[in-house]
Amino acid sequence: MNLLEGHALRKTYKLGKHNEVHALRGVDVAIGAGEMVAIMGPSGSGKSTLMHILGLLHAPDVDGGPRPSLTFDGRDMVDLGDRDRTRIRAREMGFVFQDFNLVPTLTAFENVMLACDYAGTSGADARGATHEALDIVGLADRAGHRPSELSGGEQQRVAIARALVNKPRMVLADEPTGNLDSERSVEVLGLLRRSNLEYGRTFILVTHDNEVGDACDRVIRMRDGLIREPTQAVPPVEPRMVDRRDLVAAGPG
Amino acid sequence: MRYLRNLARRPVRTLLTVLGITIGIWALVVFGSMANKINALVAGGSTYYADKITVSDASGQLGGFASAPMSLATADKLRAVDGVNVVDSAVMMLMDEAAPSVTMGVPPMITGSLPGGDQGLESFKLNYVEGRARTLADEGSNVAVLGSDIARKYDKHVGDTIELKGVPFTVIGVLEPTLTAPDQAVSVPLAAAQQLLVTTLPPMIQDKLVTSDIATSMVVYPDVGQDVEALATRIEADVPGISTMTGKDFDKQIGGATSILNSILVGIALISLLVGGLSVVNTMAMSIAERTREIGIKRAIGGSRTRIVRELVIEAGLIGFIGGAIGLILGAVVVTLVNEAGRSSGTVLFELTAGTALTAVAFSTILGALAGFVPALHAARLDPVRALRYE
Repeated sequence: MNLLEGHALRKTYKLGKHNEVHALRGVDVAIGAGEMVAIMGPSGSGKSTLMHILGLLHAPDVDGGPRPSLTFDGRDMVDLGDRDRTRIRAREMGFVFQDFNLVPTLTAFENVMLACDYAGTSGADARGATHEALDIVGLADRAGHRPSELSGGEQQRVAIARALVNKPRMVLADEPTGNLDSERSVEVLGLLRRSNLEYGRTFILVTHDNEVGDACDRVIRMRDGLIREPTQAVPPVEPRMVDRRDLVAAGPG
Repeated sequence: MRYLRNLARRPVRTLLTVLGITIGIWALVVFGSMANKINALVAGGSTYYADKITVSDASGQLGGFASAPMSLATADKLRAVDGVNVVDSAVMMLMDEAAPSVTMGVPPMITGSLPGGDQGLESFKLNYVEGRARTLADEGSNVAVLGSDIARKYDKHVGDTIELKGVPFTVIGVLEPTLTAPDQAVSVPLAAAQQLLVTTLPPMIQDKLVTSDIATSMVVYPDVGQDVEALATRIEADVPGISTMTGKDFDKQIGGATSILNSILVGIALISLLVGGLSVVNTMAMSIAERTREIGIKRAIGGSRTRIVRELVIEAGLIGFIGGAIGLILGAVVVTLVNEAGRSSGTVLFELTAGTALTAVAFSTILGALAGFVPALHAARLDPVRALRYE
């Protein structure tokens, strides 16, 4: 069953009066529940735009072409207002960014708990979930530290804890290893993979990194606002499972 | 607290913004207290002059504070006017001739009257902190009842002796504060006051007066149901050489002037607060611009627009509250210090009420929150993706 399905997704950005960028030119995409998918392609290929649309941060263009459709968990997302999109992002999705993007004045614990707060969880439930999430990423002992007191790898693990704390259906990660050295990249990737395998959570990763792409179930390759390769899911085979376990083993803890 | 941590990001800028509000609220508290004091004085006068007519010699129109002497025979003429119930004669003079010509409120006065001369009609009641009221038995002796400010200024209690125009008087009572004229008055027997007044007059005038026949003001209590204004007009027509003042005249003369003064005082404070409020707008706009990315993160991970606005408005309100609280404390310190200093000379300038204090802090908090609202709304409308990419 597909968790996410998009058809005829287009997005044009107006940079000036006569300067338009056609970031997406009509993309059909389907992401299965529990899949871990990488979106790859050169800069300007439209991969980030696709992620923003799939993550409900932007809406696809409705005018100027065939009507797009986007369903998440069977629900239509195209006509949703800002309030509903925000709610779904808060409760059913998690986000990880290249620059970690933690709130600098908040401790690791508070950063993670902020996501609970936005999802409508509070009190002991929120604190419990936050402890658990920080434990999963191996940062229970760093909970009281501010982002400036944490290394890049640690910050990204806090961001992952924040993305996972509400147990979302789907996590979107934009270049999650882009600012990390290879050792930390393996660590972070291991965390994402483990969450995917153990909880059946769907992951969409935008990346330049072929190693990240190789670690995923499937790669969607993009160029010039279009998907370049057929996107059928590759059935998992035995050797890949071995690879996955290696990644899990390389995780923190 | 999270909001305080946000304010502590740029401590100098926050401090300056808070200072802007502090100055505004300080001004509001100090000027507001001054206006309160003036209002209390005026309200006291207004109550005192209501429902009666104060008659004085036509040559002096200070509302009976210190006008030229009249003969007690005038009182009989007043009693003859239709609608007049009781006439109470009094002698009033400045306690100190060298008193500054411009003062806040009322200058210190000596008043002399016959106890019971109002026949129980006076509605402005006086209470005693110590001692007793004068009685008719005191006529002929030099005794005095002190207003609260006078008692404090000269540090006199019952049994002490106070010199009035060089003549010693024994203190027999001290009044409770009224916040208006009686605080600044010494009340003595009529005969004693007549004697004191005559000695201060030039010899040429002294010769023409009979000491026991003079009064400087007469209070007319109308018959029940009489229209006070109409009676005042009738008195001026029937009795030559006098002028009348009613409660309405007092409100017109004094009330009009003080309400302008009050508006000016409060206006100055509000303008300084407005400047403070604009600096909050500026600070919040800058602080939000610096935090564009952070707002993008919060929106992306599911922070609603309402949440973003609420967080920023609370932060701005906090600036207003802190500024207001500090302004109130500094204002209260100044008011108290100046009042303490002024008390020794009998001039209490300010009255800081709980209402003024609460209004000042509530106002600054609301002002801060309002100032933060527009920048906050702008922040909440940012495109999360663009905000995330903001450097």
